[in-house]
Amino acid sequence: MCLQNFPCQEVERHNKPEVELKTSPELLLNPVLICRNEAEKCLIETSINSIRISLKVKQADELENILAKKFLRFLSMRAEAFQVLRRKPVQGYDISFLITNYHCEDMHKHKLIDFIVQFMEDIDKEISELKLSVNTRGRLVATEFLKQFI
Amino acid sequence: MAFFSSGSRALVEILTRMQSAERPMPVDHTFFEFGSIRYHVEASVSDHENVYLSISTPSLSLEASPSSSGLPEATLQETRKTYHRFAEVVEPPREGYVLTLKLNFSGLTRPKDRVKAITQVSRLQSVVLSSQLKDMLGSLVSSGTMKLVYNQREPFFVSKTQDEKINAVFPMRFRDDTDLAIATSFFQELQELGSSLVKKAPTCSWSPIPPPELRGEHVHRLTTNGGFVSFGVLPRHVMGKKRAAKTAWILLNFQAYVKYHIKCTRSHIQSRMRERLEALTEVVQGARLRGNDDARKSQASAVVKKRGSKSRLISFAKANKRLQKGFRAVLGKIKRLRLRIRVKGLDRLRRQCQCFPVPKLPGPSPRRKVHRYHKLGK
Repeated sequence: MCLQNFPCQEVERHNKPEVELKTSPELLLNPVLICRNEAEKCLIETSINSIRISLKVKQADELENILAKKFLRFLSMRAEAFQVLRRKPVQGYDISFLITNYHCEDMHKHKLIDFIVQFMEDIDKEISELKLSVNTRGRLVATEFLKQFI
Repeated sequence: MAFFSSGSRALVEILTRMQSAERPMPVDHTFFEFGSIRYHVEASVSDHENVYLSISTPSLSLEASPSSSGLPEATLQETRKTYHRFAEVVEPPREGYVLTLKLNFSGLTRPKDRVKAITQVSRLQSVVLSSQLKDMLGSLVSSGTMKLVYNQREPFFVSKTQDEKINAVFPMRFRDDTDLAIATSFFQELQELGSSLVKKAPTCSWSPIPPPELRGEHVHRLTTNGGFVSFGVLPRHVMGKKRAAKTAWILLNFQAYVKYHIKCTRSHIQSRMRERLEALTEVVQGARLRGNDDARKSQASAVVKKRGSKSRLISFAKANKRLQKGFRAVLGKIKRLRLRIRVKGLDRLRRQCQCFPVPKLPGPSPRRKVHRYHKLGK
């Protein structure tokens, strides 16, 4: 995460994340794709002044798919609370982060990395827990409903 | 979880207020419950002993009772039997209602009995609906199917098999995918429990395709996104008056029960997501450089403690100098405030035109000049 301030080479007085604009290929590094399987992957795109990290979260069944969509949408809607969260994920991924050199100046780099890692872990954990709790609630409610007949 | 009381709370409140009122008061209330059930409570000052309660419920099945006006005789008999102590059925009912009861609680002397009677009256809707349902099921021929409409948008089907088993089939429709996912999980659990775990409960099955009993029904009635939930109600579940009424009430409210479960689960998910959001936000805030001011301060104080007494003396001298400077500045300001504003040429102008008086400002007390001179003698 060695990012530095780098104004746009094409347009005067423009300073935009190169990873988004991709105006000059010499400012971009090779993207890194880490895959556990087709459903779980992480794409890291790097440039001179910004990094974009995109995640695809595991969705094993319909309920997990709905819960993941719901939760990630909920977080994206509150992107301003995270500063580094992108409002719209990169195509083919569920959620994306955009870290610029300004973020690195404003935050501890190691803590920022810790946050991304914790975010990944938490999302997986939260979706699993939500699924479990929905099923448990369903079981309890079904038991109560059937008990009424006895 | 969801408990759909068969009693109307609004009715209980109105009747209790009327009973506890010191003076008889005129009452004329009309209200709706469950979307389609309409109540009308009427009482006059001249005839304050009698309260007229009218109820209008939609016909459960048009197939069973094509004329929507009036209730079947069995239902009327059931109502008479239930409320014979303090109410009588008015014939014909008030216009626009299916049943009118004349309530008279004067025969009940003890307040406890009156409370009990009011609670019983509040269950009028349940009594009417369950007796209707019971009547329909009785008239239903074996291996026949009937469509019941308790909620206009969500009809359900009742069929009777040859072994006296009643099958209640609910086509389930949901607004969005989230509702569908939650409901599917619930139906799976219901099916699992209904078939094995909870003994004595009706068997329950859920399938995405319509059960064979609904063969021949219109396609639009069988088009669902949540599948079909069927309950196999055995004769033991409808044995006895109370049990039959209870079973009928549970079945009538099944769809509302599912909706309530979905609503509660959605809110539970929302609250959990909120909690997680807070936890994640804290991590980001912790990563900020400016966010660690407290830690910095503590570090700075630790450094200060390590310094020797010499540095302490230097800092004390510096502070003293700053204090003195500040004092001087404040004094200077006070002096300037108390000084008169001097305008050049103002005295000359005043002398020239007498009409321009200059107000005398309260300034610092002028020092009296002591004129020391010698008086010249004549």
